Amino acid sequence: MAASFSLHHLTHCFLSSSRSKVLSNGWSRRPGGRYSFSGGADDRGRPIRAAVETPPFPLFQPPPLEESPSELEPADPDFYKIGYVRSTRAYGIEFKEGPDGFGVYASKDVEPLRRARVIMEIPLELMLTIRQKLPWMFFPDIVPIGHPIFDIINSTNPETDWDLRLACLLLYAFDREDNFWQLYGDFLPSADECTSLLLATEDDLLELQDPDLASTMRQQQQRVLEFWEKNWHSGVPLKIKRLACDPERFKWAVSIAQSRCINMQIRVGALVQDANMLIPADMLNHSFEPNCFFHWRFKDRMLEVMINAGQRIKKGDEMTINYMPGQKNDMLMQRYGFSSSVNPWDVIQFSGDARIHLDSFLSVFNISGLPEQYYHNSHLSNDGDTFVDGAVIAAARTLPTWSDGDLPPVPSMERKAVKELQEECQQMLAKFPTTSEQDQKLLESMPDSRRILETAIKYRMHRKLLIEKIIRALDIYQDRILF
Amino acid sequence: MALSSATSLYQDRGLRGIVSAYSGKPGYNNVKTEFFGSFPAGVLQVKVGLDKSLRRISLCPCIKCERKDEPFEYVSVERPPYYSYMDSTSGKLEPASGARASIPGEEYWPEGTASRVRAARAPEPTGKSLGSPSYGKNPGSRRKKHRTKVAAPESSPVTVESSDEETVEPSDLVTSDVVEDTIEEPKDSSSEYVVYQMEPEAEEESGYQLDKTVGRPHPFIDPEVKKPIEKPLTSDELWWNWRKPDKEQWSRWQRRRPDVETVFLKAMAETGQVKLYGEHPTLTETSLYRAIRHLFKDERLRAEQERLERDGPIAYYSEWVKGWKKDTSREAIQKHFEETGEDENAQLLEMFCHQTDLWGGDPVYPTVNYIQDPNEIIDYRGPDFHEPTPNMLAYLKEHGKIISREELEKIMAKEKTEQLEMTDMDEAMAQAVDIGENEDEGDDIEEEEEEKITRNWSVLKSTPELRKSKPKPKKNDPMSLEDAVKDSENLTDFLMDFEEDK
Repeated sequence: MAASFSLHHLTHCFLSSSRSKVLSNGWSRRPGGRYSFSGGADDRGRPIRAAVETPPFPLFQPPPLEESPSELEPADPDFYKIGYVRSTRAYGIEFKEGPDGFGVYASKDVEPLRRARVIMEIPLELMLTIRQKLPWMFFPDIVPIGHPIFDIINSTNPETDWDLRLACLLLYAFDREDNFWQLYGDFLPSADECTSLLLATEDDLLELQDPDLASTMRQQQQRVLEFWEKNWHSGVPLKIKRLACDPERFKWAVSIAQSRCINMQIRVGALVQDANMLIPADMLNHSFEPNCFFHWRFKDRMLEVMINAGQRIKKGDEMTINYMPGQKNDMLMQRYGFSSSVNPWDVIQFSGDARIHLDSFLSVFNISGLPEQYYHNSHLSNDGDTFVDGAVIAAARTLPTWSDGDLPPVPSMERKAVKELQEECQQMLAKFPTTSEQDQKLLESMPDSRRILETAIKYRMHRKLLIEKIIRALDIYQDRILF
Repeated sequence: MALSSATSLYQDRGLRGIVSAYSGKPGYNNVKTEFFGSFPAGVLQVKVGLDKSLRRISLCPCIKCERKDEPFEYVSVERPPYYSYMDSTSGKLEPASGARASIPGEEYWPEGTASRVRAARAPEPTGKSLGSPSYGKNPGSRRKKHRTKVAAPESSPVTVESSDEETVEPSDLVTSDVVEDTIEEPKDSSSEYVVYQMEPEAEEESGYQLDKTVGRPHPFIDPEVKKPIEKPLTSDELWWNWRKPDKEQWSRWQRRRPDVETVFLKAMAETGQVKLYGEHPTLTETSLYRAIRHLFKDERLRAEQERLERDGPIAYYSEWVKGWKKDTSREAIQKHFEETGEDENAQLLEMFCHQTDLWGGDPVYPTVNYIQDPNEIIDYRGPDFHEPTPNMLAYLKEHGKIISREELEKIMAKEKTEQLEMTDMDEAMAQAVDIGENEDEGDDIEEEEEEKITRNWSVLKSTPELRKSKPKPKKNDPMSLEDAVKDSENLTDFLMDFEEDK
């Protein structure tokens, strides 16, 4: 319900402002930037993967809809001032803080230009950047030669331990005098607000109702703990010891590093490198239909947050980024600690042979585009249709379908296939210990619960909502199938 | 010459205006006063030391037109985009409203100026923050602590409470800080203090470590820790490799330059004939390859030479002559020589005449180039080939493109009969008087005059009576060639011989 309501607003946003032709925005449209977004959590050498999270709760849909606007209030002026003093600039946006964290909102309307507009620019000296490959280069180079933290960073596995390296660097930056991160760290989510599953207890992991994700997270936690124990043992010098006195602090640092890191290909000097960066622009939330993207301006070494070209923005719209394009909810949960019920890339494993006709499914819901870029074509449908959202697009991608040129679907077989699929969905729902309504009630009944617990419950609720939505979509498909 | 310009007053609409007053008289001491700066709306203060002869500067905020009835022209001053700039000539910060040429617009600014200007124009954040930084000790301390609100009626009292809290911010922040401090103190307390170890533990060293500390001779690597080298690293993986190829070369010119030997060596390594130390052959391996190849080639050549000497040339080369079936042993050649007298070379040539394929090249390292079948029938017909149109001849004859031989001869004969007419001409020509040369003699003139008339061709031609008498008997009907041939005494009559009189 909340999801569909927000969808309505979203389509309204894009439809109502278009008197003239506005390019139909895709649910997973690649933003019109200079980069190609590719998925994958741990691969190197690919160009940019923009992956940024907000403080604790990245709001995947425009938050003014989930919370009444009065709950959003302007952020602490110091939040911008500490950056402004160090040549960060924000143009035409304002930072607001709500119960779920920070967000960036437009302060004035933006006409759709052919050029991407800059809304924020951040110099390199404010960020914590490590090159992904050996030799690790730090921008800015705050680690002095001979400091034992460098040995710790050096001992990490070059391919998989990027988050540990960033966490060490972050902790060291906290310790360094006059470092921006000492000031900015106050605005990062603390350990009780951070929803990353690294800080989850065993109960929270069980609440996920997803054994794979739970085991992955256990492994991750184990890995982080081992690393801390190996490098922060009792004999370690004080300048290391005071960085992370206890494993919780280190875990928190690793969760921050994982959830707020961007991987970008930047060019510094003559060298083009893939770098992991922790930037002060990570208060941007995630959306599957982002407004903005990151751009590296190598001339003066600034990271720019730019609005997509041709994007019309009204005052008060939220500026969003696609953190990890094309990933399922469990990847989002694992890396960033949030999930969405309208993730258009979610995958449900169907077994069995039942298949529905892809083309008629797409035409019933007016979904057009290539399989990589399905979007709801609002020009074809009347404006009142608000059923189609990311979940239906995920359904279009993940339902087993067949498509054979011009071969028309046989209605009886289609109905049969639909029934089988619906049964399978019901079976999947039945396998969960709770239903989505029960989860909803549970969430409502404990408004003051810990964030991680809430996130875990929401994760499973979203999964069930997705399945339910698929069932409803199949119903509508059955009704509207053309004969 | 001093400019004499009317004082221009810009109607002030809150814009900055430039007022400059010049004295009008040429000989007058120019009192130039120029005013910069912004003028408040509606007030123009002009302080000029003017001669009375100068026109009074009126304070009316309009532009005086020459013609009174024309409406006012409302001029807006172009505001420069910034108030000051770094002047390239003086190198100093100059005001934009100075007396220099107008500053070019944004299109002409040097690279990066636009972003610097935009960064400089961005307004500084105002507002006072209520919290204070913790400098890395309490991350998240300056966030507003709200609880997540799920859309539910129960949340509204909570929202009311939180909004109440927000209005009473300062105290709340203080209280929340206090609350946080009390929570976080047990965590932080250990970091405030430094724990010293009172008694250092003495570790017993032995073996390799002892040797090392004491200074006795020891191997470089601890023999207990030492691992045998399982797989030698490629040159890229070795620690001293400072070069990072990464396959990200920006041009093809950066690749390894191919050399015949290195390429072949690498190919041989890939197929497994040769084992290289790394991916690419080194100089040593290449020279080794070269040496081995040389030795092999030498050996083979020597073996071939020896075989040639042993078997004789005919036997040696008969390997390549497929068509030569005869016995090629030395005895057979000797026998053949005795029988026919052809020595070895002649027989060799004989054999080569039977060579059909594999021409050219070295029999030891033969090159298969161009094998032809001598009995091949080459078919030149292509896809456009078709049978010729039948009865072309009849077709052409019909259309008159070809005539038969008889008709041709007839036509030729007609042409010949015209030549007979020409001989008549000759008679007339013969009777004509030669006018040109013998005009001096008077006697001849009489004769000539008589003869003129008779021989004069043109006279003859123009008098029909004379003409009729002569050619008629000759020109009865056009004679065919055969008749003419029969008529004449000899064929030489038909020759065009003007020298003999007919």
